[in-house]
Amino acid sequence: MQTAWGWLPAIYLFLGGLGAGSLLIAALFEFYGDRDRYDFFPIPLAGATVSGPLLILGVLLLIFELGAGRREPWRILYMFTHFSSVMTWGVWLLTFFIPIALIYGFLEVLDTFPAACQWLKGRRWLRWTAFLWNLPLRRTKRVFAGIGSALAVGVAIYTGILLSAVGPAIPLWSTPILPGVHLPLMPLLFLVSALSTADALTVDILTTLFAGGRFRYSRRTHLIHLALITAEALLISHLLLHAFGEGGAAAESARQIVLGQHAPVFWIFIILLAIIFPLVGHIYAAGLGWHMLASGLSSGISILLSGLFLRYLILISGVPAFL
Amino acid sequence: MEIPRLSRRRFLGLTAAAGVAAALGVPLLKKEASLAQERPKARYALIIDTTKCTGCGACIEACRLRNHLPEGVSYIRRIVKGNERNPWFLMIQCQHCANPPCATVCPTNATYRREDGVVLIDERLCVGCKYCMQACPYQARVYDEERGVADKCWLCLPWVLGGGLPACVEACIPGARLFGRADDPQSEVAQLIASGQAKPLHPEFGTDPSILFYVIEA
Repeated sequence: MQTAWGWLPAIYLFLGGLGAGSLLIAALFEFYGDRDRYDFFPIPLAGATVSGPLLILGVLLLIFELGAGRREPWRILYMFTHFSSVMTWGVWLLTFFIPIALIYGFLEVLDTFPAACQWLKGRRWLRWTAFLWNLPLRRTKRVFAGIGSALAVGVAIYTGILLSAVGPAIPLWSTPILPGVHLPLMPLLFLVSALSTADALTVDILTTLFAGGRFRYSRRTHLIHLALITAEALLISHLLLHAFGEGGAAAESARQIVLGQHAPVFWIFIILLAIIFPLVGHIYAAGLGWHMLASGLSSGISILLSGLFLRYLILISGVPAFL
Repeated sequence: MEIPRLSRRRFLGLTAAAGVAAALGVPLLKKEASLAQERPKARYALIIDTTKCTGCGACIEACRLRNHLPEGVSYIRRIVKGNERNPWFLMIQCQHCANPPCATVCPTNATYRREDGVVLIDERLCVGCKYCMQACPYQARVYDEERGVADKCWLCLPWVLGGGLPACVEACIPGARLFGRADDPQSEVAQLIASGQAKPLHPEFGTDPSILFYVIEA
């Protein structure tokens, strides 16, 4: 097992995926969810507003993980400079993504609450922004949602490429999508997990909590989430089966996950909390058409927890090829 | 009439700020001038004969002493191979790859390869993200907790450039370590490499180690 990266990078990868996924979920409802038919639509509102702050929190945690970069923060600027490194791509992606996510969230708040719009228009110290008020709010918001979702796919995938880019050093992390295909699995797994955890946060938790009885959304929402959970289960089983089949360090990683020292985390936090429990909860919700408070909160929290533990498990069980 | 004057003042201010930032930033971005810019004169090779190595660990301690590393930390790591009847030892340190994955993944370009093949870390650029430690398939890197930077074997470069030997070579009791110039066909290291007895470790990683070679009995 590798020891250089532990909890902090796991939380960072998790928050990166969650924030990017939240923006994607918000944009999905913005473009395909009849957003315009409602004055108040909690799912895109929740997704757009949490996205930027989650990423900021993740980046702050990442800075804490750095050694010299924490003590001498100007060194972080050097991280923009080396384009062969996936980490440099990530730093650039986040540099563009975070402001766009923040602006998108702000515009979504303005769109949902016209009173906030009026209040801001009335402020004397904001008079210099007068020209902005002539822009069409909805269309501007959609532009930011579009650019933001393209970048969000990049951020979610980047959290996976960061691991798969170590190549032969840690075979579990560079498992291919299909045997013989030179495309890593980890970016796809992290993208699916990002969408699933973001769905859990925005739909299962925030929408159920703050708009439970008052807001009815499409039954398709639950079917999409069911598909995401199923896809995640398939990708995780493919990861483990491929690792067992490959032998060597990859098989040792898989053995540690399924049978070895990390088995409790795997069976409780992945199999039970990421797959079985949310599947039951969402089949129930899909039949009902919406989440009960209990089913929404419990499956939402279990998916979020399991998303974090999935990153941690994959990080901690990365057995180097060569000991 | 007020607006242009204000904007000019702001422009001048921004220019001054940018100038100060550039003046501060450029020297920080410069590499360690002494080691990075010196013209290479040689191609080095360090061959470890595992059939002679007794695994005593003198190289590990010599490396630790020369590089002032804390107790228990060294740029050299011992792996025990074989079985209880016939153990043998594989000493691992930076392989000085021609295609170093640590340098590829480094976000700050702190790890770089000299023209003579020695891979070095400019510790003033390192942010301590530990990405290189994950990417090195030989796990040849150590983390300097005190300074928060990645660290590894640097082939004792100042000694070598001055005509000396790496500490591990000097300290090796059974004489299992050979150091020399691979570009001199008369040298012992060049002949061992040419004969195919000394081989790079795990060439299937695609890292193309260019300085470290091992003699391993099949």
